[in-house]
Amino acid sequence: MPILTLQNISKRYGAVQALAGVSFEVPAGSVFGILGPNGSGKTTLLGIVTDVLKADTGHFTLFDKTPTARERRKIGTLLETPNFYHYLSGYKNLEISAAVKQRGKDDIARVLDICGLTQRQHSAFKTYSLGMKQRLAIAAVLLGDPEVLILDEPTNGLDPAGIAEVRDLVRRLAGTGKTIILASHLLDEVEKVCTHVAILRKGNLLLSGAVNEVISRNDYIEIAAADNHALRLALLQYPGCTNAELNGGLLKVMFAAQPDAAAINNYCAQQGIWLSHLQLRKKSLETAFLEITNTPVQ
Amino acid sequence: MKQIIYTEWLKVKNYRTFWAMLLLALIIIPAGNFMVADKFTENLQQLSKLVGNPFSFPDVWLTMASINSYISALFGLLLIILVTNEYTYRTNRQNIIDGWERKHFVYAKLFWLVLLALLTLVVATISAALVGVIYGNKPVSFEGYEYMLYYFLQLVVMLTIALLIGVLVKRAGLAIVLFVAYNMMLDQLLTFLLKRYIGAAGGLLPLQSGDELLPFPLVGKMVTTSDHYDTYVYILAMLCYIILGIFLVFRKILKSDL
Repeated sequence: MPILTLQNISKRYGAVQALAGVSFEVPAGSVFGILGPNGSGKTTLLGIVTDVLKADTGHFTLFDKTPTARERRKIGTLLETPNFYHYLSGYKNLEISAAVKQRGKDDIARVLDICGLTQRQHSAFKTYSLGMKQRLAIAAVLLGDPEVLILDEPTNGLDPAGIAEVRDLVRRLAGTGKTIILASHLLDEVEKVCTHVAILRKGNLLLSGAVNEVISRNDYIEIAAADNHALRLALLQYPGCTNAELNGGLLKVMFAAQPDAAAINNYCAQQGIWLSHLQLRKKSLETAFLEITNTPVQ
Repeated sequence: MKQIIYTEWLKVKNYRTFWAMLLLALIIIPAGNFMVADKFTENLQQLSKLVGNPFSFPDVWLTMASINSYISALFGLLLIILVTNEYTYRTNRQNIIDGWERKHFVYAKLFWLVLLALLTLVVATISAALVGVIYGNKPVSFEGYEYMLYYFLQLVVMLTIALLIGVLVKRAGLAIVLFVAYNMMLDQLLTFLLKRYIGAAGGLLPLQSGDELLPFPLVGKMVTTSDHYDTYVYILAMLCYIILGIFLVFRKILKSDL
């Protein structure tokens, strides 16, 4: 059963087309990254899913049902900014979250502990630092241990230690089989955890699906020899080699398929080139992402 | 609904501004009632021999309702603050995200509207009854209590206007300015102009409809104005404004982006 199915969602703000006919599906148990540069429509999309924004056209389902508040109560959501009553303490704010979610108060202590706010739980929200506010928002998401989480830029405002903690948390939650929808423009945030992605640019869905299927991230090799120019010419003759470019003292060589380091080593030796460096590398999601988002929309 | 009221209670339970304003708004009623009763009894004893004691039953209900209709704006401000706070803190979004239907948000604020109006009616009733007992010279009677109900209706109209302004304007400062301007001046000004150029219909503006039913006690008795509709017309007008206002609030919250 898909957790979320979007069909042809469009939304316009005046002259700006925030979303243009976006459709995709979030399978249960996936960690689904919604990627895109700032202003690409990520938050608008999640705003529509959580009913704070109205789509102009299209429709969507949650848990295969027409979405109502009942479905939203099963989802922990952090959308855009932490929204809390400034005059109330962290604890009292979570009491309100729990009441709206129709869950008991007994989970509050646990989520405060996970987010490292136990010490400051009785201080007013307005006295919190940006990072603490974000932590409280994450605590509210975790309240009641929901099966589905929607996290929109969850590491906003956090310090490096906080960012690492949140990543670790997402990874742990994903490990327990929860479905996580993660919107971010920080690719390394998504890189290690996402099983699926949807990439948006200016409101258009560029692609979506399982990470390995939709983003070609073939390995490439970094290679070097005494004469890198000769090496480059030799490798361009190598079957399956698509490109070889000199990058500093190293040659970066791409292949149409998965390269075999031993075979390349052997090939170079046969050409009389002795390698001083040979390393197999994975193309980063960032590189793949930039390649995709820099292609003009058809 | 119980869940909604409980959530609203959690929102205000530790909110000092709310309690301070509520207390002030409620104290103003008996304070105003007693002040007027005291001053009047002291200074105008001669006049009261002519026109009767406005603080005796049954006249005290009209007298107090009429006075109260001038000093109830604080409840509107209180409601505006409760509404615009949600927009300031963006908790109106968070409540929906976390599991309210949009209509629940409207119910929550209508709950405050009804509660504030009822609370005011209770306090105003007790206060007027006490004035009647202390400053009047006739036995307690509920004859003429309908004026208190007109006051209640006018209060609901005023709170509906406050709610509507809060929902449409979203920002506390501007909403308060607009509300106060309408409440203290615009409604009267428009009434004055309409009455002058059109006639009795000028008395059918939202707040004026209530005022028409709550004439200032002594003056109202002496001056019989011909351009005046029957009571039910004003009541109907007020009910229409309440329904229209609440309809617009629902429409705004249900249809627009939050």
